[in-house]
Amino acid sequence: MLINVERPLRVMLIDDNIIDLKINSKIILISKLFDEIIQCQSGEEALSYFTMHSGKLNKLPNLILLDIQMPEMDGFEFLDNYKLLPEEWKANCLVAMLSSTLDFGDIRKAEANPYVLKLLKKPLIPAELATIFNANFNLTD
Amino acid sequence: MTRSPVKVLYIDDEENNLLAFKASFRRQYEIYTANSAAEGLKVLQNLPVEVIIADQKMPHMTGVEFFKSITDSYPDPIRILLTGYTDISALADAINHGDIYRYITKPWNDLELHNSIKNAHEAYRSKIDLRNKVDELEKTNDELNRFIYSISHELRAPLVSVIGIVNLVKMEGLYNSSGEYWELIESCSNKLDYYIQKTLQYYKNNKTTSDKSEIDFKKLVDELIDLYSYTDRDTQFKLNINQPHPFMGDSFRLEVILGNLISNAIKYQKDTEEQKLVEISIDVTPFSAEISITDNGLGILNEHLEKIFTQFFKTKNNKGSGLGLFIVKEALNKMNGKISVNSSLNQGTTFKITVPNAN
Repeated sequence: MLINVERPLRVMLIDDNIIDLKINSKIILISKLFDEIIQCQSGEEALSYFTMHSGKLNKLPNLILLDIQMPEMDGFEFLDNYKLLPEEWKANCLVAMLSSTLDFGDIRKAEANPYVLKLLKKPLIPAELATIFNANFNLTD
Repeated sequence: MTRSPVKVLYIDDEENNLLAFKASFRRQYEIYTANSAAEGLKVLQNLPVEVIIADQKMPHMTGVEFFKSITDSYPDPIRILLTGYTDISALADAINHGDIYRYITKPWNDLELHNSIKNAHEAYRSKIDLRNKVDELEKTNDELNRFIYSISHELRAPLVSVIGIVNLVKMEGLYNSSGEYWELIESCSNKLDYYIQKTLQYYKNNKTTSDKSEIDFKKLVDELIDLYSYTDRDTQFKLNINQPHPFMGDSFRLEVILGNLISNAIKYQKDTEEQKLVEISIDVTPFSAEISITDNGLGILNEHLEKIFTQFFKTKNNKGSGLGLFIVKEALNKMNGKISVNSSLNQGTTFKITVPNAN
């Protein structure tokens, strides 16, 4: 089922690696799919972004690109916490994982998680991001 | 090295036997005695006994019954049964259920009993040594698995960042801005990534555990073609997959085998060929899957055919690591599968594989 969305569109990147945050932001910029990029260096930072902007739906992301391997709170632990956020915050937000992992366990775990659309492999490619975008969003304006 | 003396527990309801045993062996062994099964159990609960000798004929509980009662709680000590009469059924019972190491008739001969205790102790030591070795191996195996996991993350993550940067350079039109430097960085990065992936495949294949899951060959082959023809869209694929029966097998190893062969078929095409073609046919029976992969590519020199499955074999103008086909062969060995190859230079190559259906 497509989610109806209108611009401006926001994407949130969660990655402990600053270089990857930079690279992926650039790639998203080039893809022109999103208007605003929210960069978080940890799962904790991402969660506090949600609580800080709790009332303002126009600040919350439409898509989260989530790294798996992160210190302290890894991608899967972030999802466990994300699950507990109020429904209305998540209503227009989807999650894809973005990782360089080749580990079967990680891949299966990601695919089994009901919140995860897909596990995207690093490096991110604009065409793959577009495929996920078109399969899930319907731009109404 | 001075080893502490062997700890022997001797259970017998006849006090005289206990005394005689002590008198004969107290210089060689650390001896504990008990005059009933119940007393014997008390000793076992408090001391790490290595060899237990029990008399068969005792009131309340016979020697065999005692050995049976401790099979789960004290499996390690080696058991010797002493009996004064030959009772075949007690003997059969002892061997079948009591895990008895030796059977000695009364009255015992000192030398015979001494040798039996010595041998029993050796059996005890090798049992314990084997268990320690297994524990050690499991620990090493665990460490190796963790190491592989960390390779796949710590080593590959920064490399993938580099490849991402090269992609950005392409997207921003800067790829040709510094001569061929970007191209060289890209090709080195891809090569390193290929090695890391092959190394991981090799180690994962080496792990003995194999999973059995249902394989949908059509789906698997489509996914693999998608994955490997990503960089090279010229090659046409002709699929003939005939799967009227369910197939159970090791999904990781099948993916490794088919993935390596399909990527080779794409990689070793002739640059001049107008119609690059790879034909894949799979026939599944209740007993096996017969797979053949044919390309019209470069082909393999006759004298190289025998060596292509050996580790690190490469030809002069080979683009590979010398690991791909080696891993294929290793994975097939683990699955009890077979592979054969037919090739003529500049005409193409056919790989034929048989994998048993574990259904």
